[in-house]
Amino acid sequence: MSGIVIAGVSRIFGTVRAVDNIDLTVAPGEFFTLLGPSGCGKTTLLRMIAGFSELDSGEIRFGDSRIDKLSAHRRDIGMVFQNYAVFPNLSVAGNVAYGLKARRVPAAEVATRVEEALALVQLAGYGERLPHQLSGGQLQRVAIARALVIRPQVLLFDEPLSNLDARLRVSMRSEIRALQKSLGITAIYVTHDQEEAMSVSDRIALMNAGRLEQVGVPAEIYRTPATRFAAEFMGTTNLVAAQVLGLAAPVTVSLRPEALRFAEDAPADWPRLPGIVAAIEMLGPITRLDLRLANGEILRMATLDTPQRTVQVGQAATLAYDPARLTVIP
Amino acid sequence: MTLAFSGAIPYRQRLPLGIAALAFLFLGVFLLYPLVQIFSASFLDSEGTAFTLANYTKMLGRPFYRTAIANTLQIGVAATLVTTVLAVPFAFALARLPIPGKSMILAMASLPLILPSFVSAYALVLLLGRSGVVTQWLQAHGIGFTSIYGMGGIVTVYVLTLYPYVLLPTIAAFKAVDVSMEEAAQNLGSSPARTVWTVTLPIVMPAILAGGLLVLIETLENFGVPFVLAEDMPIFSVEAFKLFIGETAPNPSSAGVLGVLLIVTTALVLLVQRRFLGARRFATNARQAAPLLKAGPGLQLAATAYCWTIVILALIPFFSIVVLSFLEFRGPVLHLHFSLENFGVLFSRHLRPLSNTLIFATAASFCVTLIGVPIGYVVTRYRSGLASLLDVMATLPFAVAGTVLAIGFIVSFNAGAIVLTGGPLILVLAYTVRKLPFAVRSASAIVHQIDASLEEASISLGRSPLETFLRIVVPLMLGGILSGMVLSWVTVASELSATVVLYSGSWSTLTVVMFQALESGGAGIATAAASFLIVVSLVPIALLYRLVRRYELS
Repeated sequence: MSGIVIAGVSRIFGTVRAVDNIDLTVAPGEFFTLLGPSGCGKTTLLRMIAGFSELDSGEIRFGDSRIDKLSAHRRDIGMVFQNYAVFPNLSVAGNVAYGLKARRVPAAEVATRVEEALALVQLAGYGERLPHQLSGGQLQRVAIARALVIRPQVLLFDEPLSNLDARLRVSMRSEIRALQKSLGITAIYVTHDQEEAMSVSDRIALMNAGRLEQVGVPAEIYRTPATRFAAEFMGTTNLVAAQVLGLAAPVTVSLRPEALRFAEDAPADWPRLPGIVAAIEMLGPITRLDLRLANGEILRMATLDTPQRTVQVGQAATLAYDPARLTVIP
Repeated sequence: MTLAFSGAIPYRQRLPLGIAALAFLFLGVFLLYPLVQIFSASFLDSEGTAFTLANYTKMLGRPFYRTAIANTLQIGVAATLVTTVLAVPFAFALARLPIPGKSMILAMASLPLILPSFVSAYALVLLLGRSGVVTQWLQAHGIGFTSIYGMGGIVTVYVLTLYPYVLLPTIAAFKAVDVSMEEAAQNLGSSPARTVWTVTLPIVMPAILAGGLLVLIETLENFGVPFVLAEDMPIFSVEAFKLFIGETAPNPSSAGVLGVLLIVTTALVLLVQRRFLGARRFATNARQAAPLLKAGPGLQLAATAYCWTIVILALIPFFSIVVLSFLEFRGPVLHLHFSLENFGVLFSRHLRPLSNTLIFATAASFCVTLIGVPIGYVVTRYRSGLASLLDVMATLPFAVAGTVLAIGFIVSFNAGAIVLTGGPLILVLAYTVRKLPFAVRSASAIVHQIDASLEEASISLGRSPLETFLRIVVPLMLGGILSGMVLSWVTVASELSATVVLYSGSWSTLTVVMFQALESGGAGIATAAASFLIVVSLVPIALLYRLVRRYELS
């Protein structure tokens, strides 16, 4: 088990700095996620670690050994691909055994380790099946078993759940996290889905335009976003221009919708904001509400479903917010 | 030294660079070098010492050769236009109308691609020529008949043998049209007929043009058909061959001039095709196959009759040559008696050419696969200047007529570092170069279907790029590689234009036997050789078809 050090890594395609001088340290056994919109450089960075994209500068180390000059097939990495990349010409067992055979593991040991790995991903007994007989979720389990069975130093996940349907995605992500924690293998996970990132990760690196926006544990990035981009990418928020007492320049503050409440439910010391209800969106467990303030600005608020309350569009309403949850964006 | 060298190249590029280096070496020696030799022959005087433009002024000054150029272009354009006009409605009917026996029509319509076109031309002569079976019957009944020799006959044979080049891509294009475009047009008030004309046809136009230009190139290069049917009419490739055979000076300058002109013409057409079509390919992403249009019984009947007529007309020459080969010939005159004598003569006197044909075809199809598949892999997987240069170079043989390439081979390899003339290897190498573009294209099409992440998965699991290529890519390509091999085997077996220049002594082939029998009027042997060739072409295709179907069913 080894940690990963990424130091000063850059990759330039023409005039685009796809990965722009990134420094990161991933602790041994950590579940680390690269999060960002498409084109932010997260996949390029992952492919640099895997050895499928060259570095223009910088270096990558696993523990003490530098690996960025090493051929991709000598890096000892287990990688799970977005489209599974299960070899269609090999059986499930053949797929899982593939990396062991490349490492010249004795046949008897291969057989037992393949069995163990398949059991680990709840596919025991599926060894003889061919990939085209499996569902998308099962294929992804094969891909995970194949990556785990070689007991790699590092596990890489490239948007592994984006081809699965929404329900399966939610159950698979907790399974992936549980597996990674039980085996203790350092993992780097790439996704563009902030909810998925928050659910699986020990820490998240939020990327934008080839650079790191913010690195931290999920709650910290969500609650105290360091930049405007971080505040908006990590979920819905209200960005309001504000004036800090004693400071000349105006600043922006971020206020999450769930930090707002109807005035009658809120503690008396919370500041009140009167307005007109502009839109209501009933999403099941929560209801979203847009309030138009006197100056025309829209304030977004979210509340748990409360059947007793009846609010209509066009009605006047007063909201209150928790002042402790205002975050000043520099 | 190799260590230092390989250390400088990023490991990811070592496999493609290695393949590219070997490919460039092969193409340099066996394609560029012969072509350069032809170019320099055309620019040197008859002794091959001094630079001159005199060859060009001399050749282009003669009305005979100017006529040859004009004839070739006229025939090519006429054949292309007629083929396109016939094939597009055919394609539309097969793709969008309810027609019985579609898969049968489609299978039969692909056959002319693998059957030798000069056999079709020869059958036309036997049926409708001066002493042809049909001609004599017509004359006996007092019906006059215009000559099938010359332009009319050549264009007819080209249309009947080359129409699949337009038909097949156009069917695919009609099927790929996104139905919602047509629905949008009709929703806006356009009638179904107007919709086909204003929406569907423009979308498939690039496919039609691509097919048409292939037909044009094939007609420019073709040697066998005009050789059989042109008689006194001068045609480019035939005259180049005659000049080369007749030229006694050390430097084949006249044949060189015709060769260069032919290469330049076909290369121009090819360039137009790549440039023009590359820029205007309409991407439609059909989510489902376009539904069949509703057709009245009249239209349905007319369309069915139309498709079957073309398919059958194209196959009649091949069918009749098989029938004729079982009849008795006295010289060129045919008698209506069943006889196996033609085959008896073929197998007793020409066993050697027969076995040569099978051996050369097998050797060449192996070579072309071994060279073409790695090239197809590299040009598809790696986007770089070097890869596209390799792509262009591997397509180049398509623009070089077999006769011209063969002349280049003789000039290049009859002395000096590599001497190949007089042996069998020169034939195999020429075939390999000629069929390379097809092998590269088909390999590239298969690689496109294989997800690149499969290779990355294999590499990250610890297999080197070369092992990955052999263990993952090749097995996944196997079906496609096999059918590509069979196709090149079949087309090599009936290759005439390069063979006729390159063969020597005992290294002749079945097509040469036919060629010689045609010249000396030995029609019986020619029909037997042609029948044998047809069988030799059809059997592996049929086997492959069954194999592929069984593979797909399992």
